[in-house]
Amino acid sequence: MKSRKAQNRLGDAMTYLVFLFALLFFGGPLLWLLSLSIRTQQEIFITSLRLIPEDPTFENYTEVLYTAQFSVFLINSLKLALAGSIGALVVSAPAAYAFSRLTFRGNKLFLVGVLGLQMISPLVVVIPLYRYFDRLNLVDSHFSTAMVYIAILIPLATWMLKGFFDGVPPALDEAAMVDGCTRFGAFRRVTLPLILPGLTSTFVLTAILAWGEFVVPYVLLSEPSLFPISIGILNFQGNYASNSTNVLAAGGVLAMLPAIATFVILQRFIVRALTSGAIKG
Amino acid sequence: MTPATKRRFSPRGLMGENRPTLWLAPLLAVVTLFYLYPAFEVLRYSITNASLLDPDYEYTLETFTRVLGDPVLYKVLRTTAIFVVASIVLQLLFGLVIAVAVNRASKRRLPGMVFMRSLVLSAWVMPGVVIGIVWAIILNDADYGLANLLLGTVGLGSVPWLSTPNTALMSVIIANVWRGTAFSMILQYAGLQSIPEELYEAAEVDGAGTLQSFWYITLPQLRPILMINIILITIFTLNTFDMILPLTGGGPGQATEVLVLRTYNVIFQNFSLAGGSVLAVAMLAIAMALTLIYQRLLRSEGSL
Repeated sequence: MKSRKAQNRLGDAMTYLVFLFALLFFGGPLLWLLSLSIRTQQEIFITSLRLIPEDPTFENYTEVLYTAQFSVFLINSLKLALAGSIGALVVSAPAAYAFSRLTFRGNKLFLVGVLGLQMISPLVVVIPLYRYFDRLNLVDSHFSTAMVYIAILIPLATWMLKGFFDGVPPALDEAAMVDGCTRFGAFRRVTLPLILPGLTSTFVLTAILAWGEFVVPYVLLSEPSLFPISIGILNFQGNYASNSTNVLAAGGVLAMLPAIATFVILQRFIVRALTSGAIKG
Repeated sequence: MTPATKRRFSPRGLMGENRPTLWLAPLLAVVTLFYLYPAFEVLRYSITNASLLDPDYEYTLETFTRVLGDPVLYKVLRTTAIFVVASIVLQLLFGLVIAVAVNRASKRRLPGMVFMRSLVLSAWVMPGVVIGIVWAIILNDADYGLANLLLGTVGLGSVPWLSTPNTALMSVIIANVWRGTAFSMILQYAGLQSIPEELYEAAEVDGAGTLQSFWYITLPQLRPILMINIILITIFTLNTFDMILPLTGGGPGQATEVLVLRTYNVIFQNFSLAGGSVLAVAMLAIAMALTLIYQRLLRSEGSL
């Protein structure tokens, strides 16, 4: 019994050793970024490991938001992320319902096809679209960019939602249909409300992915006032000298904060959805 | 043929509520416009000499032979292979170790588990460009870059993280491991939770130690998820573009120019739409092959 206790203590110690490693490796870079973002210009070149600067300042944040137009980029990202993820839900929900409930020839084949779409790099998709949109005068438009966002979010959304529909017993929508609902009515009034948590996690996850999306706007947008934050911050990095790393760091914090905050608040939903999505399909 | 399949051929049956047509129509429209059409176009461009600057082009197989005969392609493929294999090994290793720790912590109700999980996952949900910028700041070659600062503190010299070819590739791998470990962690964590507790209890009765249980129970039970994990890391890593751009831009020279970045550069820097399309076709083929393997794995798991 005593050796069991000793073994447990050893195990706990190992567990916290792993946690310490993970804390340093994953937390370190984030803390360093935060630390740089509140430093003055003189303090970015110091070669000592102090995290809290002597003279902390929030000026970098105001500079990046107002002078460097980050407020515009953040709003653009928000618009594109919302349009993309709402659009993906609207298109994916009925399809996922059909994959979950209806028996038809090729059901599984189609589903594997959708999975395959997920594997395709957005770059491949956007190469011909660039030329096509160019001819239709659709380059430099949030509308066409959002359409492509919807397209690249659809595979993930369809698979996740199918998993959630599978979790609702078909007897429930059948009962509604016996009571006189059409199948579409049962879908809208019974099944969809039942997977509300699933809809939420799908929405949040696709919105987070869309927030960080890079290749699509990088190719399709060239007008700076339309840039999402991912392009805005890359240009900012390219244009600013190394003596304003503090300002760049503030920009980085602003760019990642919405994604991380949303995720941490809603992670209970998302973690479950992610694992069931990848393993159960 | 069942009556249901027969009914499909009447217009009413095709459009009926119990038929998939209307339910799938929006999805099919988007897939046709944004996947099938682009895939077809990329295939078509790959057998032309199309340039981004010139609207006219001719059909030819020359682009294919030129791209395949270009020694740069093999350098790019080698870089891509190193990037992918190193990412698989390190992400699986770190992901599994952290998952085991998190799993143990949650079973024994040790504090700090949820915080740990959130922290690791935060790296994963960050925009890729910001990840590249964070690591570009940390791996700054100068003495005030965090990595060199740490090396200096323990009495080691500075490393030119981003300015020599080998260290630059290593830096890109480190940043990608930082980003992707979280995904492996949650997959492995879910896998660990699905292993029946009785297996461990039986092993303990038989006198197996912790390491033996891990080797003979945990790893074999995790095997299917590890395989799925490898496929997904491969595809995520192959499609990594955003993080590399702010970190190394593919350099120094072409040391960190992976396939997807090369494809972009050939089209939008060299304006060779045809040449880039050949590479895009290769990427499509890889994606298809990986999908087939993934599907096999899911089917043998009974999940599809």
